[in-house]
Amino acid sequence: MTAVATSAPPRSAPPSPAMRRRARRMTLTAWLFALPFVVLFLVFMAGPIVGSLVMSFTDMTTRDLQTPFQVNIVGIDNYVRLFQDPRFLRSLLNTFTFVVVAVPLTMALALAVALALDKGIRRFRTVYRVGFYTPVVTSIVAIAIVWRFILQPDGLLNGFLALLGIQGPDWLQSTTWALPSLIAMAVWRNIGTLMVIFLAALQGVPREHHEAAMVDGANAWQRFWNITIPAMRPAILFSAVITGIGFLQFFEEPFVMTRGGPLDSTLSAAMYTFQQFGFGNYAYASAASYVLFLAIVVLALIQFRLLGRKED
Amino acid sequence: MAVGAVTLVGALALAGCGRSDGGGGAGGDQAGEAIDDSPATGELTVWAMGNEGEVLDELVAQFEEENPDVSVEVTAVPWESAHDRIATAIAGGETPDITMLGTTWVGEFAATGAFEPTPEGLVDESAFFEGSWETAVVDDVAYGVPWYVDTRVLYYRTDLAEQAGVEPPTTWEEYTEFTKALQSAGATWGVSLPPGGFDSWQYVTPLAWQQGGDILNDDGTEFTFDTPEWEEAFTYYKSFFDEGIAEPRRLEGGEIEQAFINGEVGAFYSGPFHVSLLLDQGGEEFADKFAVTMVPGADSRTSFTGGGNLAVFEDTDNRDAAWKLVRWLSQPETQISWYKISTDLPSVQAAWDDPTFSEDPYLSVFGEQLQDSKAPPAIPTWAQVSAVIDQELEKTTRGETTPADAIATIQQQAQSIGTGN
Repeated sequence: MTAVATSAPPRSAPPSPAMRRRARRMTLTAWLFALPFVVLFLVFMAGPIVGSLVMSFTDMTTRDLQTPFQVNIVGIDNYVRLFQDPRFLRSLLNTFTFVVVAVPLTMALALAVALALDKGIRRFRTVYRVGFYTPVVTSIVAIAIVWRFILQPDGLLNGFLALLGIQGPDWLQSTTWALPSLIAMAVWRNIGTLMVIFLAALQGVPREHHEAAMVDGANAWQRFWNITIPAMRPAILFSAVITGIGFLQFFEEPFVMTRGGPLDSTLSAAMYTFQQFGFGNYAYASAASYVLFLAIVVLALIQFRLLGRKED
Repeated sequence: MAVGAVTLVGALALAGCGRSDGGGGAGGDQAGEAIDDSPATGELTVWAMGNEGEVLDELVAQFEEENPDVSVEVTAVPWESAHDRIATAIAGGETPDITMLGTTWVGEFAATGAFEPTPEGLVDESAFFEGSWETAVVDDVAYGVPWYVDTRVLYYRTDLAEQAGVEPPTTWEEYTEFTKALQSAGATWGVSLPPGGFDSWQYVTPLAWQQGGDILNDDGTEFTFDTPEWEEAFTYYKSFFDEGIAEPRRLEGGEIEQAFINGEVGAFYSGPFHVSLLLDQGGEEFADKFAVTMVPGADSRTSFTGGGNLAVFEDTDNRDAAWKLVRWLSQPETQISWYKISTDLPSVQAAWDDPTFSEDPYLSVFGEQLQDSKAPPAIPTWAQVSAVIDQELEKTTRGETTPADAIATIQQQAQSIGTGN
């Protein structure tokens, strides 16, 4: 599509020394202007990132706090140990389950809500928009309290189920139901963000395409599937990537609701890393976070592959 | 390019200096010179957490009055971030002069070499409760002093016990009977125990101590989880869930008071802070419906002790004044006024002779229990080892493993984690 790409520059005579000097000065000036950003980036972004990567190949723990350079290099030992730790593997499995279930679910529900708000609902539209967006801006602490009320054994959800004659489980303390409960909670919390993105994207779908399709006799479903969805592809890709990245780092929900329990059934990779940092195993925890980082890169690549531009 | 340089420098620095002594900074430390009796001078910063951080100002005002040339600045640090902040301060070399510490953190931070050993003759070791003095000792060197203590006793409903005609239990057999009797008198659950999860080791470890078991062997080199005492402790703990005496559900803070007040739960273990909570929430008449008693036991009636310690950093610019403040805070009179400000229990035994404690029906029980209380060993890896106990205890109470397998797993994992020394 971007056809105006770089065509080869016109061949010209080699630059004179004066021109070269000027070019060098301009480069220098450019770097000078970029300096504040470059310095900040190196000190506060690149430095810690590289530092933690190096740290993941050492045996640093709390005892080395005062003398961080007096640690031994242990190569990939930390990584080997990680993959031998059944709890870490369990946390990866939990995180994987969480992402695979929660990302599509959040996107599907957010798309449904966005469509309803865009086409179906006319009255109180603002009320609904605010309603669906509120969880996004509400503090996790407040959310945790509300969801505890909902999920506790004699809570709202089980009260409702009892009306239907079903005896609900103790959601958060059941090894079977704790993770699904947290998935529901995370989906509920994140629908709002995607809804806003999808609403904007829906408004950007060209009306003419729909009209043309209607003239050709396409029904609503066909138009949705063949016009709306392809037109929204960039928005869908964007949502898939940010939700995927966010959900891979799934942490707040288990932290406030279950602390990874019962029996590690809601232990996420980020939660595991957090615990290891808490134990003072800094190097080991860094290694765990790099495994998670790699997983995020891989997931993003897959998503770009599946959802990216098809035409080229 | 610059990034490459950073990596290179980092890698060189790392390759250049491996760990020299193979262990932490702790162990070889020598206590500094003694502290004299002259008034303290200069400036001091003290970090304190939670409620202590909020009200410590009130207490140190008295210290400043007695030592006119000293000025003490108290920084309140929230408990949730305190551990990380101390770690960051040590790494950055920006430590305060004195900090309050959770008793279980001493081993971990002492290993960094950031704390100064308690000077010879600063305080009398035997003035403190034995179990709580041990929380400050790492490899036979004391770092700071215990400041206040906390211990668990058994809270129970006196009205239900009376109705069932039982006396507060002293042994395990009586304990089981007692909790069953509370159930027959109307409580849904005889006693509330966490089936697992964060810090549930604090409930099962005393059961091992009560039979003479322990976490480490006598010279502190090996874990001793694979012993009959631990297996028995796990078996006994599990029996409360198997026999339907304890609810297989963890009550979070806030739930337990309500369940106890409305009679759903007949008994539970907790520290001193629950007395005022129950009196507040249960109303005047509830005071007659509950009492506290020493924990039931086997060979001994040992309970768990925790609390807060004070430590002085090596980097302090005002060493003498820092230790003088610590010494002042460990005087019996100071500790009594501190109780009145903060409701923290004194770590110094002499303070307990004061009628504030000896004549109070609740506090006197805590005082008695403190004579037989124990803390986990001050090893840097304790947080990690105890998390393994939490997990295995949960598997046991849920019936996913047997007590014998659980303690074998704990032993094996604890050994691979190590004592950190």
